[in-house]
Amino acid sequence: MRFERRQAQFEHEAGRYFDDLYRFAYWLARDRWRAEDLVQETLARAWRNWAALRDAGALKAWLFTILHREFARGVARVEPTEELDGDGDGAWEPALDADPARGLDLRTALRALPDASREALLLQVLGGFSCSEIATMLESSEGAVMTRLTRSRQILRRTLGADVVKEFRQS
Amino acid sequence: MSCLELRRAAMGDPQRIDAALLEHADHCEACREFLSLTREMETELEAMLDVPVPEALRARVFAEAVAGPRRSRRYALAAGVALGLAAGIGFLWQRDDPLALAGIEFVIFEEAQAILDAKPADPATLDRVVHKLRVMKPSHFGEAIYLGTCPFGGGMAHHVVIKTAHGKVTLLMMPDRGRAERGAATARGLEAVVAPATGGSVAIIADSARSVERIESMLNAG
Repeated sequence: MRFERRQAQFEHEAGRYFDDLYRFAYWLARDRWRAEDLVQETLARAWRNWAALRDAGALKAWLFTILHREFARGVARVEPTEELDGDGDGAWEPALDADPARGLDLRTALRALPDASREALLLQVLGGFSCSEIATMLESSEGAVMTRLTRSRQILRRTLGADVVKEFRQS
Repeated sequence: MSCLELRRAAMGDPQRIDAALLEHADHCEACREFLSLTREMETELEAMLDVPVPEALRARVFAEAVAGPRRSRRYALAAGVALGLAAGIGFLWQRDDPLALAGIEFVIFEEAQAILDAKPADPATLDRVVHKLRVMKPSHFGEAIYLGTCPFGGGMAHHVVIKTAHGKVTLLMMPDRGRAERGAATARGLEAVVAPATGGSVAIIADSARSVERIESMLNAG
């Protein structure tokens, strides 16, 4: 009974971040199947350490940190010749209600970002974390994270074009 | 407040711009336009990143996460049986401290990978942690063979592996995780103690209770 209660609590608490975790994993790995594996492994690790979690307020950052580390491990294991991008076999998911052409532009723009910059941007946009929180999660300095975020947005602006954003707003 | 400051803040985190900068934007048409465009792009970015989550994925992932991989479950079962035979059936009912138990799980499942993935740690950071916790420096117990940080127990811990005369000992130093009482656990052939320290706590994991107790008393002598 105690186990079931603990399990239900885990599913309830961690489940609140499930969609965000999946999207973070998806945009890191850029492949649906890899994303599913990443979320699976993240939650398995979280469950193994669940009893020790004291601060429920830290749960979200904790889960994202585990996922970030799982992804880093996966990247380290990938052979140099193996393609990380899952463009084939239907592994790419279009965004909900998105313009497909714009989706492709965004995908291209995100791919152009250095890994560390893309990760910081995803943590902020999908996870809603502050620069300081991201710095802790990525074991970096707040200044370095700020620089990565600024560069990421500069690249996106150049690729997506501020003029197109204006059109988007008018439409 | 200047235009440059506003633009820097908007490009770094457009959702968290402080009030003084927002007030500047109210009075500066160029900055207002810049901020507006940045936020529009942010909204579009959010929409584009909003990929659908596969149906039934949540239920499957949670079920498998809790059940664990088949091989691990078999291993856990075998380890449990061996432990029961060694220590007697009454031992199975002993209550382990959850954080100490998590320390053992960390050493079994995470430690090797954490060491492989780690970036070089700054020894000065450990010095600050040791000073804050008011414990003895780990290098006094033996040779510190690894030093890093890792997610543990819902926060970040300073992870130290020491080679002592009595074998390998793992320390997880948690300067922000205060604790009133000592907790202990025994599992998978390892012993763990979580000891309270000034303003935080330290988990000590080793392969014998004697090693753990020895390190604990030395830490407290710091």
